[in-house]
Amino acid sequence: MKSQALGRGYQAIPFAMLAPAIGFALVLLIYWIQQPLILSDFGIVSLCNQSVALSLAAMAQTLVVIAGGIDLSVGSLISLSTCFAATYMGTSEGAAVPVLCATLLIGVLTGALNGALVVFGQLEPLIATLGTSFVFGGIALQIRPQPGGSVPPWFATMLTGNLSFLPYSLVLLLVTVCLIWVPLRKSRIGRAIQAVGNNEHSAYISGLNPKKAKLFAYATAGLLTAVAGLFITAQTTSGDPNVGDAYTLNSIAAVVLGGVSLRGGRGRIAGPILSGFLLSTIVSALLAWGISALWQSLIQGLVLLLVLAGVGLQIQRSESWRQFFG
Amino acid sequence: MEEALEITNRNPTWSGTGLVRQVTFPLALLIVLFIGAGFVNPRFLSWDSLRIQLTLAAFIGIAGIGQTLAILIGQIDLSIPANISLSAILSANVYGQTSNPILSLIAGCMVGAIAGLLNGIGIAWLRVPSLIWSLGINLVLQGTTLVYTDTAAPSSTIAPFARWIVTGTVVGVPIILAFWILLSAACLVVLDSTAFGRRIYALGNNELATAMSGINVFQVYFPVYLISGLTASITGILLSGYSGQTYLGIGDSYLLIPIAAVVIGGTTLAGGRGGYFGTMIGSVAVVLLDSVLTSLQVSPGLRKIFFGTIIVAMMLLFRRKRGLE
Repeated sequence: MKSQALGRGYQAIPFAMLAPAIGFALVLLIYWIQQPLILSDFGIVSLCNQSVALSLAAMAQTLVVIAGGIDLSVGSLISLSTCFAATYMGTSEGAAVPVLCATLLIGVLTGALNGALVVFGQLEPLIATLGTSFVFGGIALQIRPQPGGSVPPWFATMLTGNLSFLPYSLVLLLVTVCLIWVPLRKSRIGRAIQAVGNNEHSAYISGLNPKKAKLFAYATAGLLTAVAGLFITAQTTSGDPNVGDAYTLNSIAAVVLGGVSLRGGRGRIAGPILSGFLLSTIVSALLAWGISALWQSLIQGLVLLLVLAGVGLQIQRSESWRQFFG
Repeated sequence: MEEALEITNRNPTWSGTGLVRQVTFPLALLIVLFIGAGFVNPRFLSWDSLRIQLTLAAFIGIAGIGQTLAILIGQIDLSIPANISLSAILSANVYGQTSNPILSLIAGCMVGAIAGLLNGIGIAWLRVPSLIWSLGINLVLQGTTLVYTDTAAPSSTIAPFARWIVTGTVVGVPIILAFWILLSAACLVVLDSTAFGRRIYALGNNELATAMSGINVFQVYFPVYLISGLTASITGILLSGYSGQTYLGIGDSYLLIPIAAVVIGGTTLAGGRGGYFGTMIGSVAVVLLDSVLTSLQVSPGLRKIFFGTIIVAMMLLFRRKRGLE
C-alpha cells in the first residue's frame, strides 16, 4: 500500500513541477499584454523582488513538510525577524552585520523550539506551531509595537538592487538554494529527514535518528524563514509586526501547488519556488489590469482556498484520508 | 478504576477526569487572579469593575461556544475574528440603511452561517486540516470586509436591541450576563444530554470508530461549524452594541483569547475531552488576567507572549499520550 503510494508520488513529481511553471508563464503573459514593461530590466527586478520572499518562505515550509510536519509559525517568524532587524540594524555604524547574524540565529532558535515541541513535547505540528506563532507574534509586537525602523542603504541595495537585468534578489534565492538547500538534501541528515517524513518507524528501524532529523528540519526551516524576513526588511526598509501574516498560508499553498505531498517524505524545491513566483505575481498582474488593491486579500484568499480544495480532492481520491490525518 | 468510571459514566463532560480538569485549574487560576487583582488595585473587586469584566467575558464566552465545539471534535475555527468583524459591520450597516433590527440581525447571522457552511465544506467534505482551511476562510472574510467597506463605510448607528442587551439590566442583573448564561445552559444541555453532544465527543475521540459505528460524521461537522459561525456573528453584533460603533478589525483580538479560554478551561486541543463549563470559567479568567496585566502596564506584545505561552504550556500538560508509532 505504502510502496504503491510512493510509486505514484514519484511519477507525479515532474507533472507537479510543470504545473506552477505553466501557471507562472500564463500569468506573466496576461501581465505582459497589459503592461509590456514587465519584461524590461525594471520589470524583471520588481517581479523578482515581489516574489523572492514567498519563495524563501515556501522553501522553509517545504523542508518541514518533507519531514512530515507543517509550520504555521512561518508568518509570525517573518514578522519577528523583520521587526528585530529593522529595529536594531540602523542603530549604529557597525551594528548591521552582527544584527544580521543575530536575526539568522533567532530563526534557527525559534525553529528549533518548534522542533523541540514536536519531537520532545510530542505535540501535533499544526497545533504546536499555532501556539508558537502567537508567542513569536507577541515578541514581534513587543520589539516594535508600530511599523517603522530603518536599515543601512547598502543592505537594501545589496538584496533588492540589480545588475542590468539580473536582480540581486534572484541571486539571493540561488545562493540560498546552493548553500543551504542542496547541501542539506545531499547530506546524510537530509536523507534522514526525507526518510522520517516517509515513515518514521522504518527510519528508526534502519538506524536513523528521527528526533535529530526532525529537529534539524525545523531549525533549518527557521533559518530559511529568517532569510525571507531579512529580505522583506531590505525590501520595505522597515519592520512591521503584521507584515508576515499572509506568508503562513501562502507558503503552504506554494508547497502544495509545487507538488510536495503534505503527507511528507517526498518533494523537490523547484515546484514550491516557482509557485512562490506564481502566487506573488497573480495579484500584481490583476492590479495591472486595473483591479483595485482592496481586492488583493480577497483574491489571495480565494486562490488559496481553491488550491487547498484541489489538494483535498486529490487526497480523497488517491488514498484513505486517514493516513493524511493520522 | 478510572477506565471503569469512564465506561459506566454516560455523560462524558461530567466523567472523572473531564470535569475535574475543567474546573480545578481555571477555578484555581480565577481565585489567584481575584486575590492578585485585589492586591494590585482593590477597585478591581467593585461591582462596577466586575460588571465590565463579566461583559467582556460574555463576549469571549459566546464566541467560545463555537470554538469549544470545534476543538471538541478535534478541529479548530480560526475564522472567528474576521467573522466577528464582518458581522458587526454588516449588521450595523443594514440597520443604518433600513432601521429594521430584524433585518440587521439576519444580515449579521448570515455572515456566520455562510462562514460555517464554507468551513464545513472544506473541513468535512474536502478534508483539508481545519487549522489551514479556517485560516483561509478568515482571509477571505477579511478581504470581503475590505472590499465591502470600500463601497459602504462602517455605520455608527447601532441597532437599539444590541445596545440594550449589552448595557441594559433586568432586576439588577445585566442582560448580557443573563443572555450568556442562557446560551451556556443550552450548550451544556446539548453537550451532556443529547445524541448530538455524544457524537461530538465521539468524533473528537476517534473519527474512524465514529464513522464505522454508523454515525454520519458530516451531520456533526456541519452543525458544529454552523454553530461556531453563528456564535461568532452574535458576538460581533453584541460587540458593535458595546462599542457603539463598528470598524475594521473590531474582532481582531478574538483569535488568541477565546482559544486561551477554551484551553485554560481544560478542553484539550487534540479533541474529545473537555466541555463548555471549563470555557465559561476560562473566559472570566482570561479577561481578568488581561485586565490585571493591562493595569500593570504590561504591553500588548508581552500580553500576547504570555497568553501564547499559556496555550503551549497547557498543550504540553494535557497532550494525548502517544505511543511509539
